[in-house]
Amino acid sequence: MSEAAPHLVVRSVSKRYGPTTVLDHIDLTIRRGELVTLLGPSGCGKTTLLRAIAGLAQPDTGKVELAGRDITHVPPHKRNVGVVFQSYALFPHLTVAGNIAFGLKVRGAARREIDAAVERALSLVKLGHLAGRRISALSGGQQQRVALARAIAVEPDVLLFDEALSALDRKLREEMQVELRRLLQDVKATAIFVTHDQDEALTMSDRVAVMNKGRIEQLAEPRELYLRPASLFALNFVGLSTRIAGTVLAAGNGKVEVETKVGRLSALGNFQAGSPVIVAARPEQFRIGEQSEANTAAGRVRSVVFQGSRTLVEVDAGAGESLLAELSGRDGAIPVVHDEIRLSWPVTETFAFPMEMQA
Amino acid sequence: MTEAALPAPVAAPSVDRERLAAIGFVLPSFVIIAGVFALPLVLLLGVSIVDANGLTFANYKRLLGTPYYLGVVWNSLRLGLLTTLIAFLISYPAAFALARARGALRSVLLATLFLPLAASVIVKAFAWTILLRSDGIVNETLMALGIIEDPIRMIFTETALIVGAANIFLPFMILPIYAIVAQLDRRYAEAAATLGASPIVAFFRVILPLTLPGIIAGVALVFSLSVSAYVVPTLLIGEKYPTLATAIAKAYLLAREPGFGAAAGVVLLAIAIAVVALSARLSREPK
Ligand SMILES: Nc1ncnc2c1ncn2[C@@H]1O[C@H](COP(=O)(O)OP(=O)(O)OP(=O)(O)O)[C@@H](O)[C@H]1O
Ligand SMILES: [Mg+2]
Repeated sequence: MSEAAPHLVVRSVSKRYGPTTVLDHIDLTIRRGELVTLLGPSGCGKTTLLRAIAGLAQPDTGKVELAGRDITHVPPHKRNVGVVFQSYALFPHLTVAGNIAFGLKVRGAARREIDAAVERALSLVKLGHLAGRRISALSGGQQQRVALARAIAVEPDVLLFDEALSALDRKLREEMQVELRRLLQDVKATAIFVTHDQDEALTMSDRVAVMNKGRIEQLAEPRELYLRPASLFALNFVGLSTRIAGTVLAAGNGKVEVETKVGRLSALGNFQAGSPVIVAARPEQFRIGEQSEANTAAGRVRSVVFQGSRTLVEVDAGAGESLLAELSGRDGAIPVVHDEIRLSWPVTETFAFPMEMQA
Repeated sequence: MTEAALPAPVAAPSVDRERLAAIGFVLPSFVIIAGVFALPLVLLLGVSIVDANGLTFANYKRLLGTPYYLGVVWNSLRLGLLTTLIAFLISYPAAFALARARGALRSVLLATLFLPLAASVIVKAFAWTILLRSDGIVNETLMALGIIEDPIRMIFTETALIVGAANIFLPFMILPIYAIVAQLDRRYAEAAATLGASPIVAFFRVILPLTLPGIIAGVALVFSLSVSAYVVPTLLIGEKYPTLATAIAKAYLLAREPGFGAAAGVVLLAIAIAVVALSARLSREPK
């Protein structure tokens, strides 16, 4: 695809506020038309990275390139970067249409062009009937749409969303996630979302960057992020998992044998014998009973949570360790609390992470 | 049940009672306002249009029909407008500086604004005369530095009057603007910038309109204070710059013409009300 060329390139960007390093040599490359999410806990630097891209915060080191142009030292009003703020920051002294027209007006666009663009943006966000409204007379969801329309009306090279949906209630937020993704794909926008909501990240994006303490721990497609987390932090931050501490007994060929409190387990990973590690697996890899090429552990069912298409079963494996299994119920009966069961899960879906990286 | 059989309009009297209670609460302050403010104004108006022979507009004819008194009205307007303008030009950037200042600096700056309010206008006007007179601090300093040989005439000029008035009424312009600026979300300017507005364009299209309510409040306050100022023109310029306020004082204290003084008072009041009403209207209507 010709669209695969790098569109936004962040190269080794660092930023300090006083003694704290907020961004620690961030590298990030985004293709044209791609939707990328920055996912991470509060204070990890997501907003700061967005502000650095928008030109609202000057990085201490590093470069930012957009559409083939080095914009590291370009002021924000000359960057052609659209931002949708968490608080929306809609201009209260202007109407809905006035807000959307603002960007084109200050760029000196012709009147007819502005009117056409405003109309197009309004119909994209389905707010055509509210053009003349005052901002204070809009609901939260409507304000969100106006903020989006205002940002896309100027056709920015990249759109930045800083927790743009977090002020909406859950139901509206989930609707907007789907709608926003479709809309951005329709207008072929390149966009970065910031969120600490993993569902939002997985729903909205082509790729997810998991951030921790000013670094990007992993940048991957949602599916890969879930199936092949690169760090314990990424594993913990996205989805559920079983995690068991242990010590490496033997290693080789990208595999390790780990001694744990629930028995000897095999896992993927490269470690030296004697290293303390965490062995982890996703819940849906677990089956009741034995299977070949699999780890196994036994225990007593502590809780059973029915969730419609699946059932989450937590098993007390003794010695303070527990196993979390997601059973579809298709392959066998769902156990009940206090049942003694044996679970197994494939070695190829078992990962070992260094212990000290635990967040 | 039995309640269901009760006559329906039970709620109606309670609404009336609420209303009555509300009127009861408002009544005392209404009486005070009417007695202390409205009644004297009605009397003032009455005195200005009634003399021994009955109804007359002679006072207004004299005030608005003779060149001398038209000049007096014009002086008052000029004093009000120029003072307001100068005060605004100083206050607007000052309010931003104040809002940007942090910690101790901000407290000190706010204190320097508030403390002079505790001093009488007479003291402040007199302080200006000490600064500006021929053997005052400014002239002495300039001469000591050899910048001028003879003292410059500063006191008793219109410039001195306007500068002094602007200084004395400055807090009334800064504070309302500052109140708005301090609340102003930094994101508005950032949003404007990301939409392509240069700092200057963002200022005129976003910051200025958003701070307009503060400006209007400050203008209304400073204009009504300076257009009717009495002490400041009396001390800083004196006889040669008669204003409506000094004319009123003269009419009552020297000429014993209460009817004429009342008419001047009504005109002054009308000017102030016009400005306040206009600014209230401007701040309510978004463009
Ligand atoms: N202007 C600033 N001055 C000083 N410290 C700052 C400034 N802006 C951000 N920080 C600090 O930088 C760190 C990262 O902040 P940032 O806003 O980027 O986090 P975030 O990932 O967006 O968090 P959240 O999810 O809570 O919004 C925080 O520790 C914050 O206190
Ligand atoms: Mg943030």
